[in-house]
Amino acid sequence: MPETDRYYIERCLDGHPDDFRYLVRSYQAVLLAHLAGKLGNKDKAEEAAQESFVRAYFGLKSLNKPESFFCWLFGIADRVAKEHQRREQIRQQRETIRSFSEENPSPELSQDYALEAAIAGLPETYRQVILLRYYGGQSCNQIADKLDMPLGTVTKTLSRAYAMLRQSLQQHERSEVGEV
Amino acid sequence: MNCAEYRELLVAYIEGLLNETEKRLVAQHLRDCAVCRAELKQISNLYSRLVSNGKKLAQTNLEDVVLERIITEQNVRLRAASKIGAGLNIRRIIMESRIMKFAAAAVIIVATVLGLHLFNPFRATVTFADVIEPILKARTVVLDFIVGSEETGPVMHDIIVGSKIRRTITISNMETIMIIDLDNAKMLTLDPSSKGAALVDIKGYLREGTRNLIEFVRNAVIRVKDRPDIPVQELGQREIDGRKVVGFLVRGHNEEVTIWADAQTAQPIRIELLLGQTLYILKNIKFDVPVDETLISMEPPAGYTLSDKQFDMSQFTEQDFITVLRLWVEHVLGGSFPQSLTVGDLMSLTPRLGEKIGQLNISDEEKTQLGMTLGRGFVFFQQMGPSGIDWHYAGSGVKLGEADKAIFWYRPKGSATYRVIYGDLSVKDVAPDDLPK
Repeated sequence: MPETDRYYIERCLDGHPDDFRYLVRSYQAVLLAHLAGKLGNKDKAEEAAQESFVRAYFGLKSLNKPESFFCWLFGIADRVAKEHQRREQIRQQRETIRSFSEENPSPELSQDYALEAAIAGLPETYRQVILLRYYGGQSCNQIADKLDMPLGTVTKTLSRAYAMLRQSLQQHERSEVGEV
Repeated sequence: MNCAEYRELLVAYIEGLLNETEKRLVAQHLRDCAVCRAELKQISNLYSRLVSNGKKLAQTNLEDVVLERIITEQNVRLRAASKIGAGLNIRRIIMESRIMKFAAAAVIIVATVLGLHLFNPFRATVTFADVIEPILKARTVVLDFIVGSEETGPVMHDIIVGSKIRRTITISNMETIMIIDLDNAKMLTLDPSSKGAALVDIKGYLREGTRNLIEFVRNAVIRVKDRPDIPVQELGQREIDGRKVVGFLVRGHNEEVTIWADAQTAQPIRIELLLGQTLYILKNIKFDVPVDETLISMEPPAGYTLSDKQFDMSQFTEQDFITVLRLWVEHVLGGSFPQSLTVGDLMSLTPRLGEKIGQLNISDEEKTQLGMTLGRGFVFFQQMGPSGIDWHYAGSGVKLGEADKAIFWYRPKGSATYRVIYGDLSVKDVAPDDLPK
């Protein structure tokens, strides 16, 4: 709820860093799901989520609209993810050169990597609604409030997001079958 | 409704978002249509998958580890900042906490209000010359204002409209705006970074000093006018910012005013003012530029939150000044008194003092109070010059606690003896003959 976010943000700015805990609690699952989808690995997602929160904390003073904390946090997470991916690419290139013959260890995926990847691939609005609903534990009414859209639009967005997710999951399954 | 339309409603159906009529219709259709039933099965599979994945991720707890990282990072930043000293990093840390920021702001606010009365001598003093016309007629004046050295002193930007002044000061990239209403003895302070605003009472010296000084200068001017034996020294021509200017110098008891005016238009463009031991420079002066009246409104602009606390700057004591010295010496200079003591030194110091206050283990309320105490301490020191109080600083090389070494003395108005502050910050009354040599 935006009001609560605002309250805790102000507490943090007034010198009570411990109250940042509540913001972490509200958004950790949302952020993890988002990052796991992007990074494809639970540990990496956790590391990136931690880093995003820490950066958010030190950047709170530059957040002009506390009610849009959620979207802002996601912007930070996206940047962190991009940096991690870049680092990961470099690491892998080095790895490839070093252990040419060694078999690539299969990446340790998250619980439901296919699903998380599909969510990460959704257009922004659809992704936000899915994440808030199932990872942020918010009702459609709360989401309508947070994203400032009518309940009917949230319902429609959710419905379309389902359709897109199913399509993307089907493609994923087909490609896996194809690989075998 | 056809199948496609029913399918549109299935997500809302399992999410429980449909009204009774819609729900009944969908349920009925599902009984009759196997294709839509299969579709519902697919959707509820995805629903369960989302819910269970969401629950799993919610079990991961990042709270403690994030908090720990924040504390570690905070400490790293503090250490780095204390190494680098003043400047940007300090500012960042001050910005971390609004209260910390306010404590610093309180000091800066007061330090800069002190410039108030400086405008007035300039306004009155120039009446002796040809340059008087544009100044007296001008409704608005815009200028930059520097305390101390032109290279290192803090710069303020003033927009003056009648008895109202909008002053913007930037110290270590930390910006504070003050809107000063001399008629009502009120000041509105705005902090652009936190969007905080506060009203400060500046009755007493801060305003009265201003008025007395106007009178003082007016009298001086009248004296100059009526008595040709009091000299106005002509400084001849020079160039400032590509303009030919002529200079005048007037010496009073306790002040020295130099005015540089455009040789053609007679408009003053630069004024140097030595008051007691402090040099003030007014430059880039412009008259009657159009000013947006909202800039000098005493209402906080949209988006600012006005503090409900009352701030009072009307009283200040020697004890406030001693608190400034103690905090400065103990927390910034590591126990030694500074080499010199000037208004410019104190103003440049404010961000660091604000930072130190922020780090003290006291409540937010106490931090704000301490900030205001420091502000009053500044007023106490700063008003000495303009008030004609004789003072002397001798603290260079003295360590905090050296009770036998006098670091500062002054003679209060109307007093026969001096107040002498020693290295342990104790104070004694001393006869003029017994002062340290």
